[in-house]
Amino acid sequence: MVRSLVANRRQFGQLAAGLAAALAGSGAAFAQGAQPFRLGALNSITGAGGAYGPGMLEAIKIAMTQVNDAGGAAGRKFELFAEDDQTKPDAAVLAVKKLVEINRVEAVVGIWPSSVQLATLPITNAAGITSFNTCGAPEIEMVDKEDLVWQFYASNKMIGRVFAEVAKARGFKNPAVLAYNNSTMVAQAEYFRKTWEEGGGKVGEFIVYEPNQTSYRTELDRALATKPDIVVLSSYTPDVTILLKEWYQSGAENKFITPGWAVTQKVADILGPEISSQITTISNVPASNNDAYAKFVDAFKKVTGTEPEMFAACAYDMVIVLALAIELAGPTATPKEIASKIRSVTNAPGTKVSTFIEGRDLLKKGEEIDYEGASSSLEFGEFGNTTPAFGVYGFDDNKLALKEVMTLPS
Amino acid sequence: MDWVTIVNAVINGAVVGLLLALPALAVTLVFGIARFPNAATGDYMTFGAYAAVMTQMFVSTSLVVTALLASLATGLLALFFYGWVFRSLANRSPVASLIASIGIAFVVRSSITFFAGQSPYNIQAPLVRAWNFSGIRVLPTDLYIAATAAVALAAVFGLLHFTSLGRRMRAVADNPELASASGISIRRVMLTLWSIVGLFSGLGGVLLGIKAVVMPELGWELLLTIFASVILGGLGSPIGAVCGMLLFGISQEVASLYVGTAYKIVLAFFVILCVLLVRPQGMFGKIIAVR
Repeated sequence: MVRSLVANRRQFGQLAAGLAAALAGSGAAFAQGAQPFRLGALNSITGAGGAYGPGMLEAIKIAMTQVNDAGGAAGRKFELFAEDDQTKPDAAVLAVKKLVEINRVEAVVGIWPSSVQLATLPITNAAGITSFNTCGAPEIEMVDKEDLVWQFYASNKMIGRVFAEVAKARGFKNPAVLAYNNSTMVAQAEYFRKTWEEGGGKVGEFIVYEPNQTSYRTELDRALATKPDIVVLSSYTPDVTILLKEWYQSGAENKFITPGWAVTQKVADILGPEISSQITTISNVPASNNDAYAKFVDAFKKVTGTEPEMFAACAYDMVIVLALAIELAGPTATPKEIASKIRSVTNAPGTKVSTFIEGRDLLKKGEEIDYEGASSSLEFGEFGNTTPAFGVYGFDDNKLALKEVMTLPS
Repeated sequence: MDWVTIVNAVINGAVVGLLLALPALAVTLVFGIARFPNAATGDYMTFGAYAAVMTQMFVSTSLVVTALLASLATGLLALFFYGWVFRSLANRSPVASLIASIGIAFVVRSSITFFAGQSPYNIQAPLVRAWNFSGIRVLPTDLYIAATAAVALAAVFGLLHFTSLGRRMRAVADNPELASASGISIRRVMLTLWSIVGLFSGLGGVLLGIKAVVMPELGWELLLTIFASVILGGLGSPIGAVCGMLLFGISQEVASLYVGTAYKIVLAFFVILCVLLVRPQGMFGKIIAVR
């Protein structure tokens, strides 16, 4: 009895030693080539963001291929794990848990709506990984205590302010507000009201409406009750299309200001020139005179055959910025160390670069770089937010046309 | 609140109510005759709306042709799923059919998104300014929509109450075994039922698409409202479904004048609750003894 136990113990010892040796061997094998970087893409493929998510995922893949073809970031090639958040926070939480816990991703890119970023932020921050979004809800800046969240689109704090500045500059006196009931849109409308009232003006009706309805006539009637000369529509494409149809039919005569993502060229095609000529839209100006943007548009058209949306350019920049930060942080850096390098590769000073390869080569020489992205020049502030230039657009003969470019004093 | 605003809200609620009465009637008929709540109704509507978009792209931009073809296509779709799925589940518990209908809803919606994508589409209809009767505004488009819905509803009531086919349908609804024993062909009744369901859901989808925009979630989002109004009117009662939907539509629009518009649906459900507290069987429902 005792003998066999000893024998077993000896066998166990041999086994353990063998196992340890095998593990050490495999460890040595791993160290020879840099580990791939596990990249999570969380996109709104379906739901309200479904108009943008697929293009963003495509842009992520384009950027990823460019980095991988160049030999990877700090030698680490990207490996993609993509999930659909359905533009819903509950689905997004499940998806991000899968990305973090099962796929063990080291960064999440491509988040479109604020509701998704706010719901997934506690999970990614707890796991110590970075997340990149195009969100606009101002509270994201406050919730992110770890400096791991990066906004590639203007905060609604700023968009709301620009709405007020534009309305004032154009001589409007009596605005009303219609806002989609979510944190992003209500914040945008609130910041419009705040800026407008600080300038001594008054806002007539301030209506927050529930989405997914057949008709918004009663909401519209309430907004129009104070006979506004301009209505701020903080909303998304489907609702705005219905609202504008009903507005035209109601016979009211006022102008509109909307965010650029709500009234696109496609919406104007549906509604016709009589309606579209009343609308001013405001969005981030893509850095259209920038090399990165031109190259991105070419690559995007080659793959999809269509022009990229604004958010696709943001998604492309997310991956390139991440790759440059990995390059600077080195192959063994943790996600937190990588995040700490993001401002170093995007903000001035440094030599301006527009591709991953340019940036990587300069970083290798030990030089400072300033990535000028396809979506904007990307200068990240204290809270990981960008302050882009804004394009004020109108519709000439039903065609979207840039009227002026505005920058906000920060 | 001045009365002109209230009248406008009532008109708006009535139009929405009449429009959604079409799918509500489809739900209540299925419940009355095939005895399960058909969760695919919303997505049949979506299918109808997309069929209308397709018709305008490839066949004709005439709204009458569009509405006819789209309703017919949805009718065929409903018959197809009846023959393929619901017929085989007829002798199983209603829960099996309910779950199957949820599955069909997903299949229809996902197939639509697969081919058409997530971007919204539009059914081309002329935009005309409203008629203004000293503040009371009537949108011509709304008037056509309401009239079309009203005619369709009248047609189905005519069918149910003045034809022998309608009598047979009502007999099956009352007692399928007895109806079958007295020589009524259940198969024919079912085929008629599912044709009506498809035609009505499809037409509802087209009208909704004209008023709003065509998206994959178009009908699914409205399912809760439709079910609620069917319960409000009394499950299985066609007249109840229509009245329930009208009451629901009007109460939510009028309610939104008094509370934040974000709460108007809550208010509408509150009205339902009040009615059901007084009449638990719904406005036109019958109390059925359970043996």
